[in-house]
Amino acid sequence: MADLSVDLGKFQLKNPVMTASGTFGYGFEYSRYYDISRLGAVVVKGIRMTPSHGNPTPRVAEVTGGMLNAIGLQGPGVEKFLHGKDYMPFLRKSGATVIVNIWGTTVAEYAEVASRLGAEREGITALEINISCPNVKAGGAAFGTDLKLAAQVVSAVRKATTLPLITKLSPNVTRISDFARAAEENGSDAVSLINTLSAMCIDIETRRPVLANKTGGLSGPAVKPVALRMVYETAQAVRIPIIGMGGIMTGNDAVEFLLAGASAVAVGTANFVDPFAPLKVIDGIDAYLDRHGFKSVRDIVGALA
Amino acid sequence: MDTPGTMIGNVNLKGDYYAAAFCAPEIAAKARAGQFVHVRIDDTRNDWILRRPFSICDTDPEKGTVTIVYKVVGKGTAALSGLRPGSICDIMGPLGSCFTPPPDATPVAVCGGYGAAATFMLTRGKKGVLLLGARSEADVILTDKYEKAGFDVRIATNDGSAGTRGFVTELVPRLLSERPEEKFFFCACGPHPMLMALARLLRELGQSGQLSIDHRMCCGVGSCFACVVKVNDPGSADGWRYARSCAEGPVFNLEDVYTGD
Repeated sequence: MADLSVDLGKFQLKNPVMTASGTFGYGFEYSRYYDISRLGAVVVKGIRMTPSHGNPTPRVAEVTGGMLNAIGLQGPGVEKFLHGKDYMPFLRKSGATVIVNIWGTTVAEYAEVASRLGAEREGITALEINISCPNVKAGGAAFGTDLKLAAQVVSAVRKATTLPLITKLSPNVTRISDFARAAEENGSDAVSLINTLSAMCIDIETRRPVLANKTGGLSGPAVKPVALRMVYETAQAVRIPIIGMGGIMTGNDAVEFLLAGASAVAVGTANFVDPFAPLKVIDGIDAYLDRHGFKSVRDIVGALA
Repeated sequence: MDTPGTMIGNVNLKGDYYAAAFCAPEIAAKARAGQFVHVRIDDTRNDWILRRPFSICDTDPEKGTVTIVYKVVGKGTAALSGLRPGSICDIMGPLGSCFTPPPDATPVAVCGGYGAAATFMLTRGKKGVLLLGARSEADVILTDKYEKAGFDVRIATNDGSAGTRGFVTELVPRLLSERPEEKFFFCACGPHPMLMALARLLRELGQSGQLSIDHRMCCGVGSCFACVVKVNDPGSADGWRYARSCAEGPVFNLEDVYTGD
């Protein structure tokens, strides 16, 4: 068994496999299937200051090789997240490494959420700044597809907390590495990519978009080659660690991301297919390392021959 | 005993309706009326990957089998209908909430089409009533099983090809007027418009019950927030909130069902 621990600069993880925000609820939902502290980290669904309903239904559609979603960041708001029993109090007891995904509709709200979480940071390892959700009108993609706004959000959150920061990037831009560099320059300790690809599907019988939101984010095996290319390009552009994600279903998929330059990975859509997917990905990475005689997972990060 | 997930049988009931039985001892031991299983029909393919939820129609805890009743509506159910006994599916469950009629009330299943599958295990309790609504005779299924179990079966079809012509909701006041002294508990599953009409009617009539309401599902365990339905929430500014039908439902108490819009 190889050493699976990874170093993300400001913090370390016992293994490189995290859950992708929005695909793992708040951890509680999967704790009936396995001990979630076995994961590198649990990244919870996006939190803002106030509760939000999210989008009308239908919110998901299956497409070839994946799915579209337009959930729209339904959530309990930061106070309920910090104090509601199935949220942070549960996560503290679970022993899981917790990363909280945050968002807002204004730059000030991002900073405010970060500050609130920073004030009760026990059990929180890092924040992931979501500037890339394609499914909310204000916030989300509006910040993640404009270099100046992206820089402003990261800078404001940086000033609001000393917690380690990860900026989650949108693939719906001309050059993702520019956004990674902006995050780095404004104090982000790591970047995670990719969020979903803006997409659409239509029911030809009703001649309507399948999703109530009309468009949604594409995820699943179909996006993996795109995500991999973006991780590879970003790895050439920044010095901060990269968390790679997009269509990872197996340990071998994860190994591709590590070789492309990611220091850690996240499993998203695969959670919906198989609740045990993240554990199988950990085992798959381990088996790969053993098969090739690597002593540590760190030995394969960016190690393209 | 077969491997869990092994298909034991897969029979055509009529038209596009099928009943499939699987070896699933743990699910069979725990399942209650209204709960569902989440099935990955073919885990060898990556072109369509999501699971499909099916109400648990019946179980045999001794043999360790679970039966689902389904209609072929898309590529998942089409593939399922083509599977032969011996095939293996990946089955999660039992998931979701269940119907809980009080012991002193007569259970009344009010169903639309193959919604009748979700309430069938109610027949293990007190002898009750099935009010079944369907578009036409071609969509009337499971009534023989309910009758065999001692349920009083009444049917309404839109075209009058079976039972009375009209909506299933029209059967409710008729039942109440025929049996005025009896305490009923309504357990419903069917299309959304039918359920909303029924919820309003039951409230007007001062009856109690539970409704199985769901929406296009993804994870099945409460993590993705895809399958939400509106429930009353006095604490929210709008008076409602989105509840996850997979984890908080699919069976909701009548008083929680939001019928606003």
